Amino acid sequence: MVETIEQGAAGGLAALVGVYRADLLAFLRARCGNAAEAEDVLQDMWLKLSDHATGGASGPVQNPRSYLFRTANNLVLDRVRARQRAMVRDHSWLVEGTVASGAAVMEDRPDPSIRADEALLVAEERQVLHRALDTLPPGARRALQLHRFDGHGQAEVAAIMGISRSGVEKHLATAMRHLRQALMDCGYFGPAASSGQGQGNTADER
Amino acid sequence: MSVETRIAEEAAGWLLASQGEDMDWQGFTLWLEADDRHRQAYDQLALADDLLSAHAPSLAGAVIEPSVIAHLPVRRRWPLWTGGAIAASLAAVVLAGQFMPAASSTYTTQGAAQSIALADGSTVLLAPRSRMTVSGDGGSQIALAGAAYFDIRHDPRRALAITAGQLTVTDIGTRFEIRQHPGDVVVEVAEGRVSAQAAAMAAPMPLVAGKRLDFDMAAGRATVSAVVPQDVAAWREGRLSYTSAPLELVARDLARYAGVRVEVPRALARRQFSGSLFISDGNAAVRDLAQLMQLGLRHDGAGWHLEPAR
Repeated sequence: MVETIEQGAAGGLAALVGVYRADLLAFLRARCGNAAEAEDVLQDMWLKLSDHATGGASGPVQNPRSYLFRTANNLVLDRVRARQRAMVRDHSWLVEGTVASGAAVMEDRPDPSIRADEALLVAEERQVLHRALDTLPPGARRALQLHRFDGHGQAEVAAIMGISRSGVEKHLATAMRHLRQALMDCGYFGPAASSGQGQGNTADER
Repeated sequence: MSVETRIAEEAAGWLLASQGEDMDWQGFTLWLEADDRHRQAYDQLALADDLLSAHAPSLAGAVIEPSVIAHLPVRRRWPLWTGGAIAASLAAVVLAGQFMPAASSTYTTQGAAQSIALADGSTVLLAPRSRMTVSGDGGSQIALAGAAYFDIRHDPRRALAITAGQLTVTDIGTRFEIRQHPGDVVVEVAEGRVSAQAAAMAAPMPLVAGKRLDFDMAAGRATVSAVVPQDVAAWREGRLSYTSAPLELVARDLARYAGVRVEVPRALARRQFSGSLFISDGNAAVRDLAQLMQLGLRHDGAGWHLEPAR
């Protein structure tokens, strides 16, 4: 069903990067919004797959094109996550000044001189999510509960809720959209993405 | 519907689709090219999705049960959340619960990972199907069964020790993962350094970023090799990455991280796998593995069975 690619040092999937190079690069340019980064990611991907080729991952894959695109998308997401982590660390999206002002928290701590921001971060992230989940429309909330917390596949969720598969997708999409909005309103994605501090919210979701 | 809402809806649709096997990558490319805001919406949804996964276990009850903690007194200000998006009163309880561990706290995960804040501001992401007990002065003793990713703040005044199987990890100021299996313990360091020790080892073994220690408990033998720092605990991001890993180990990881049972016949157990598997869909991950290794695959009531190629 798929052409068998010569195996060797740079065979298999790494060679397929060459076959799909134009499509992958077009995807990565759009995905990164930056031609230089797109080239970087493609290069990373080729190196990874070349390494892997020597270890046995050089065989033909039934849907190699899809595998390569997923890999490319995941590599971009790794970069997005790294930037987000750096942003959270640098700007500490929520805890600026809390070590000095958060007297109640400090009392509870075994050693008040130890910085608290990372633990706070975890707790505060959870609070944002908690509140966002509380205010989800009922259908979206139930679909998310079944799919993400109870571990049901989308088809099962559809059966349990008595709705179509695309109805489930709509509910899940709504839930994710609301969670993103809640995080945005708190400045989680950085000052540029929020509506400005002290100014109220970016409106149309409310 | 506003443009922003439309974009967010489309982005959410693509995010769900891109986790599946029949994603339209060409269509996604065109959608991304159409407007720069599309990319940002997709990225932010993916980050929101990550956050939801990280907090899923502790939030599980929150979706259906309305919050019962909303009436507690305000104990803390929220300097940056001036938009009033967060009810300040919600915050204190969770914080109090987290910062005052009992003499010993045990955390157990089932199908999803759990993020745990330690008293000193460090965090631990406990992998699925794992158990961790925190005890001792200021939570300085951690016992791990299963796997966890540690992001530990270095504090020379405090002697944190993590025990997994026969191995004890100390002198920590770093990010690293520990995976304990029935016969061995693996430590992989992404950043900083740690020191690992077992009774069977003559001296503590220092490990720096990019190093991996494999401790075979039966043989009492420790092997140090290289690991790509970005690949450490890649399961946090829905991925398992390997360089020349025995197939039986890959199968164990799939059981833990993706919740799928894969049986590897003895003849294939030592075959080596290199590559990445995406674990958001465990069954797809098993199929990818079989295809990449050119092995046969069979499914029955007990789960998946890998077989030599026909």
